[in-house]
Amino acid sequence: MSATHFSNPTVSIEQLPSILALDKQSLCKKYAPINRLLNLSLTLLFCLIGTALYFQSVVNLSADFLYSLPYIIWSVALLGFLNTWFNYASDLAKNYTLRELDLHYASGLFFKKVVSQPITRIQHIELKRGPIERKVGLATLQVFSAGGDMHTFQIPGLPIDTAQQLRQFILQHKDVVKHG
Amino acid sequence: MDDQSDVYTDNSQNPADKLQIKNDWQVLSPVAILYFTVSVFKHLFGNLIYLIPVLAVSYKSVLEHPYIWLPSILVMFALITLFAFVSFKVYRYRLTEDNIEIRSGIFNKKHLNLPFSRVQNVKIEQPIYYRFTGHACLQLDTAGSAKNEAKLVAIKLSFAQELKTLIQNQVPNDIMDTDEHNISTSTTEVGVGSADNLGQQEKVLNQRKLSDLVIHGITSNRIWIFLGGLAPFYDNMFNSISEWLSTLGIELTELFNLQTRSLFEVGLYVLSLTMLVMFVLIGFSVIGAIVSFYGYTLSKLDDKYIRRSGLFTKHEVSMRLSRLQMIVQKQDWLDVLLKRINLKFEQTHSFSQNQNSSAANSKIIVPSIKPDESQALIDDAYPNNSLNNLVCNDRFTPISKGFILRNILFILMPVWLVITSFTIMNDKLMTSILVSVLFLGLCGLVVLRWKRWGVAKDKHFVYLRKGLIGVDYYCFPTYKVQQTQFKQNLFMKKRQLATVKFILASGSLMVPMINENLAYELINDGLYQVESCQKSWM
Repeated sequence: MSATHFSNPTVSIEQLPSILALDKQSLCKKYAPINRLLNLSLTLLFCLIGTALYFQSVVNLSADFLYSLPYIIWSVALLGFLNTWFNYASDLAKNYTLRELDLHYASGLFFKKVVSQPITRIQHIELKRGPIERKVGLATLQVFSAGGDMHTFQIPGLPIDTAQQLRQFILQHKDVVKHG
Repeated sequence: MDDQSDVYTDNSQNPADKLQIKNDWQVLSPVAILYFTVSVFKHLFGNLIYLIPVLAVSYKSVLEHPYIWLPSILVMFALITLFAFVSFKVYRYRLTEDNIEIRSGIFNKKHLNLPFSRVQNVKIEQPIYYRFTGHACLQLDTAGSAKNEAKLVAIKLSFAQELKTLIQNQVPNDIMDTDEHNISTSTTEVGVGSADNLGQQEKVLNQRKLSDLVIHGITSNRIWIFLGGLAPFYDNMFNSISEWLSTLGIELTELFNLQTRSLFEVGLYVLSLTMLVMFVLIGFSVIGAIVSFYGYTLSKLDDKYIRRSGLFTKHEVSMRLSRLQMIVQKQDWLDVLLKRINLKFEQTHSFSQNQNSSAANSKIIVPSIKPDESQALIDDAYPNNSLNNLVCNDRFTPISKGFILRNILFILMPVWLVITSFTIMNDKLMTSILVSVLFLGLCGLVVLRWKRWGVAKDKHFVYLRKGLIGVDYYCFPTYKVQQTQFKQNLFMKKRQLATVKFILASGSLMVPMINENLAYELINDGLYQVESCQKSWM
């Protein structure tokens, strides 16, 4: 930071690095199929519970409820299937970019969203891994800034190695070392 | 620099004697018992508010049995006093060179250890009962959670002041050790200046007169909160008031009887009665404003802003300029009429969350000032800003008219259509007309909202204008941004629009539906400024 290394050339707005031209990295290939499997099995589970309710004779249910139960099951199945399909498509659309000084995460099919997190504003990082994520070797990278918990930057579905590398990169980043 | 910390303290006696580091545990002054009593009371009654409706319903039966309630109140008092006394007995604090330790708690023992360099905010608070003995509370906030907050409960006011300067001077020392060279030279210059007692003069930036506070009381809508709090009593109040009035020979039911009186007469009565009630409520609001802002001064010492105010409990909040995240200039519709402004210096969000009860007291807010005073304060904090220029020449880029279309067509319209068709089918024409009027009113509000919303930026700052009937202006230095978000749905993409959200430590700001290119420019430039300038956001 001493004065000898200092330079400050003029930068015009057009020359700034743009988030329009990000070099997109896709998430782990396993992420979307696994999410699809999870969603499908969840739908299936609900439907099975409904069917079990329909055919059981242990608990007495009102006739009205029993009458509408098949419709409920079918609509749950349909919605669940649509939801699964939609989630799968949007999972495929998710991507992230690591630049030298910031992290970006883009998501959304119809409602596109790009979140950009400068590394110098990072307070701390967490790697989150649920039981299923551990099983298949995935991890979620969470990055916290002073913007509050509401605005935690997170990238799901990273291969564990990549997540570790990202974490290392951020931790050793000169901006974090200086301000953290 | 350590030697110079003596110079910083403003006491004329040798402060080093007092501030010398006592490495043993200190006991508080016994006045603290009073403080603990009061805080237990506050705690209890804070929760009791929920019980008030229950009490109000059954207070007659309670009053009929003095054998029960008298002793129980006495026992409660005794318990509270005992609790306060024990709290006082177990409370210990210890100061080391750059560290404060507090041990407290009766059942849950707490040992708090707080390095001065982690302190974000120092606040001195003097409740009214401390004023006779000259004691005060010193509150130290950290950026972390509420658990990390330290409060020295009863120390001498002068000692509190000295401690404050000591702690606040600790921070620049830290920065100087690690940060840039030229900062260190500038601080030594200040140090030299302070030896001559030049840089140390506290400069008063703003003072509020009683009349200003009255205006603030009228314009700030605390009335509605108050009304909400009173809701369970409306019935009782109305009954007792009408009883009282009938003893005066006025019959309310008679007064508002449309059969015996003309519509005009009743209307007049209703109007005057509402006026009366409003008057009383505004009175309460004015009193509230005076209690919290009495004797308001905003002053500046070096780079620290200091706010002092309070009628009963005196508050002193100070904040470094570098901690300032954003300046907000708020004008409600009444403020617009009266040409007054509420100016807020926003700092990190976590502080205000820490003390939710006294949130208003820990913020630096300048109530009901005139536009030129507000501009002077903003210029003082951010010398290069061009807010005034932007406001006068209306150079804000407006958001797209699509905003009106979206809100009316996709949000309000469907609801209105459903309700009106439903009511018309059920032959409730009156309701559907009312709903339609409401719908039109809401549409008008959407248009107003659109009209207010705008964004502007210059080399160092981003400005945002928004509001509904009033106007609020937000101004923050671009490098304070923590995170940016770019949002665009398919409709917006077709029309080349996008929504930008800036996340700052003091909260988030959204600019909906602006031109795509402007959105990209805002974000790209924001990220560039954050990453290229090495300034810390704190």
